[in-house]
Amino acid sequence: MTDSAVIQERSRRRWAYVLLAPSAFWYLALLVLPLIVVLVYSVGERAETGGYQAAFTFDNYLNLGARWTAFQNTLTLAPAGTLICLLAGYPLAYYLAVKASPKTRLFLLILVVVPFWTSFLIRTYAWMFILGGRGLPQLLDYIGIEGVRLINTPLAVLVGIVYGYLPLMVFPIFVSLEKLDKRLLEASEDLGAAPFATFRQVTLPLSAPGVITGCMLVFILLMGEYLIPQMLGGGKVFFIGNALVDLFLQSLNWPFGSACAMALVVIMVVTVTLYLKATRGTGGRDVSLM
Amino acid sequence: MLRGYAAFVYLFLYAPIALIVLFSFNSGNNASDFQGFAFSWYVKAANNKLMLGALKNSLVVAATSATLATVMGTMAALALQGVRGPLRTIFDGLTYVAIMVPGIVIGIATLIALVTTFDAANALIAGIWPGEAPPKLGLGYGSIIAAHTLFAMALVIVIVRARIAGMDRSLIEASADLYADPVATFRQVTLPQLMPGIVAGFLLSFTFSFDDFVIAFFVAGSQQTLPIYVFSSIRRGVTPEINAIGTAVMLFSLTALITAQVLLRRGRKPAG
Amino acid sequence: MTDPRKEFIAQLRRYQMGSISRRHFLGVTGLGTAMAVLAGAVPGLRPRPTFAAGEIGDKVSLTSWPNYHDQANLDAFAEMTGATVELTVFGSNEEMYAKLKAGGTGWDVFVPTNYTIQNYVDADLIDPLDLAQIPNYDPASLTDPRMTEPGSIGGKVYAVHKDWGTTGFVQNTKELPDKITSWKEFWDITKDKASGRVMVHDYQLTTIGNALKYFGYSFNSNDEKELADAEKLLIEAKPHLFAINSDYQPSMRNGDAWMSVAWTGDGKQLHKDIPEIVYVLGKEGGEIWSDFYAVPKAAPNKKGAYALINYLLDPEVNTKELLFHGYPVADKRVIAKLPPDVANDPIMYPAAELLTPLEFGASDVLTNPLRAEIMARFKSA
Repeated sequence: MTDSAVIQERSRRRWAYVLLAPSAFWYLALLVLPLIVVLVYSVGERAETGGYQAAFTFDNYLNLGARWTAFQNTLTLAPAGTLICLLAGYPLAYYLAVKASPKTRLFLLILVVVPFWTSFLIRTYAWMFILGGRGLPQLLDYIGIEGVRLINTPLAVLVGIVYGYLPLMVFPIFVSLEKLDKRLLEASEDLGAAPFATFRQVTLPLSAPGVITGCMLVFILLMGEYLIPQMLGGGKVFFIGNALVDLFLQSLNWPFGSACAMALVVIMVVTVTLYLKATRGTGGRDVSLM
Repeated sequence: MLRGYAAFVYLFLYAPIALIVLFSFNSGNNASDFQGFAFSWYVKAANNKLMLGALKNSLVVAATSATLATVMGTMAALALQGVRGPLRTIFDGLTYVAIMVPGIVIGIATLIALVTTFDAANALIAGIWPGEAPPKLGLGYGSIIAAHTLFAMALVIVIVRARIAGMDRSLIEASADLYADPVATFRQVTLPQLMPGIVAGFLLSFTFSFDDFVIAFFVAGSQQTLPIYVFSSIRRGVTPEINAIGTAVMLFSLTALITAQVLLRRGRKPAG
Repeated sequence: MTDPRKEFIAQLRRYQMGSISRRHFLGVTGLGTAMAVLAGAVPGLRPRPTFAAGEIGDKVSLTSWPNYHDQANLDAFAEMTGATVELTVFGSNEEMYAKLKAGGTGWDVFVPTNYTIQNYVDADLIDPLDLAQIPNYDPASLTDPRMTEPGSIGGKVYAVHKDWGTTGFVQNTKELPDKITSWKEFWDITKDKASGRVMVHDYQLTTIGNALKYFGYSFNSNDEKELADAEKLLIEAKPHLFAINSDYQPSMRNGDAWMSVAWTGDGKQLHKDIPEIVYVLGKEGGEIWSDFYAVPKAAPNKKGAYALINYLLDPEVNTKELLFHGYPVADKRVIAKLPPDVANDPIMYPAAELLTPLEFGASDVLTNPLRAEIMARFKSA
């Protein structure tokens, strides 16, 4: 290596540090520090009148079983919701990126994003009405299907999930499909590959980073979901997010809440790491993180 | 068939929105019983100072945190290309965890960490403050922006890096071979290629922040963001005013998106 | 030095000419304090628009409950003082307490319920009120010490009475014509005819409390065995519930729910709009409570806070508030202004024999960890 190359390398490094500094600071102040505080709280005790009192005990972790149902509900409905979002979102993203004419593509893409810009709460509120007694059940009643109850059931929560998070699934898949070189598809077709084979061997692997990112985004948001079960589940469908809100804002058991939060973080990290290990290789080297 | 399916998805996406819009013109004051056509709820919403304040707060918070996240995230994504070793591992790990930690945990963790820090800082300020009423740190805009930026920044890092990974490197190499200086290469070759990722990252960040309820619910002070206001309103019992607000916000977003698109098109070189 | 009297006259002239603001005039002449004392003593002197625009800042935050304030009154306050009222509503006292305890809220005025005031004082979150700044607070006109005393702790007034109420249930008699008079019937019919149509609060105090009443136990019981009975009942009833949610008005209004645990004012509001919805007090008893105005220690705008409380306690304003929210106020000056049909309203002012068995919630019940766990198990079951 020549001297000038070494100098260049050094200045490159220095630049890299400068560029990394703000985000590193943010991570330290708003991620590492808060998580340490939560960790400290999680081995503490609930003060007599609620809140936190310094202590060193693992009781809060040993007591996690008390929220087993909440974990169970979350761990069933979150993956189910993610899967449904993927199944529903992929064809749309594919249509937008590959089939739609370039002229309308952008317009159609905007149409997917626009609902996302209306308040999530208002959209969920619309479903409270649609699934409530004066909505769909009344319509079904007219055509002779009586006594259907939708609102405040796990099904209602699932509908809300798909509705709320579909755009989040479509967007990353679209981004990765859009990069896909259409000549590859044409080449594959020209070589006589069946459409499905083309899809399986060309499109799907190339869109994998988008699928992986989309699934992760939706899954992560669902694992911490609070509003949808609260509004469409009527407080009867209890997610870990609802348990956390109750522990912090109702029963003031901050240490136990912190332990639940830590458990949730660990579950997330383990599940997602396993998931990424399992999907490694499909995502390409440089996006292996995601 | 795919087209039909797409149409169905759009129906699914827009039926509830159509309902929101329809009921925003309801003359009755019940959000679920259509009694006649009226414009009165828009007038009411336009005069609702609280709601306008919440909307303004939300816009400020979303714009600030999306900008911060996009700038810092893009910087980090570019820098990470040239960084190896433990620093890279740690940074990747942090990005990974930032994305992994659910919003609700971020909200709770930020709340207790900030409050603990503020308590200590306020005691310190009170101790050294010469005047009578020392300034007090508290939850507010800053805390919401800070917490939103965290998640959004990690998101931008991931998106931009995915874009970098898919980038056509031969162009950069060609540019370097032609002895273009690095800044010019960056501006004329790298940045345009990254732009879709950066824009996507910004849009996602803005959307996330504008719509976030749960983090703001924990870390907001007495300021309300629009989602917090709407949540309160649903508790108070909903009138079609909420529908009018939702419709207005949607129109606003649509206009903003279209304007941005037109501006981007115009800015693009014709040969592009 | 100039002659103070001359100086005073000069200032008065300038004030009359409009070259200095009223606030400046009162400040430089030291009349401000004197006026405040006078205003408190002589009702006729109470200046209505007490504040020059901007004097108390441009906003005062009020943390309260859903359907609890007439927006017209808050608007009028803003008109008068230039300070917009930033209203936030909460779902439960626990939530309110937790948020304030966590700190940094920026609240100026909030509305705690009787049994929480002790907790706020213990946690050092509120100070005794400076009553001189609330001339409209008049202990002599308060009618019922049971409703107003919880605001005073150790002889100091930490919070002033807003209104009081009971926790019973609302019933849609068109969908559910049965005559239901007790909590026993409430829970039995929930598991039977009204299955899928009943709501309970997302609030351990009332939900567990009224399940305890099924067995005739105290609403405030912390007894393990009694709580275990209540839990069993709640878990049995859970599949039959429409929702666990303290915001029951929308569902009662659109007919999805036929019955819900409810507070007086919501009962009143629902009955007014939909006459077939009635408000019932379980004959075994249940909860009676009263709400207060208090100022957090950390309130950023204390001046505005006092101005707002004083304004809301003005008998005229307070009466308008009552007519809006439907909760009784234990203040002679307000009661005197009520139209007869309101003053004799059986929902707002129930018969004495119905009130007798009611209990005030106890502060240790609010923070009892066992009750919190039972509520969590009930919700996640």
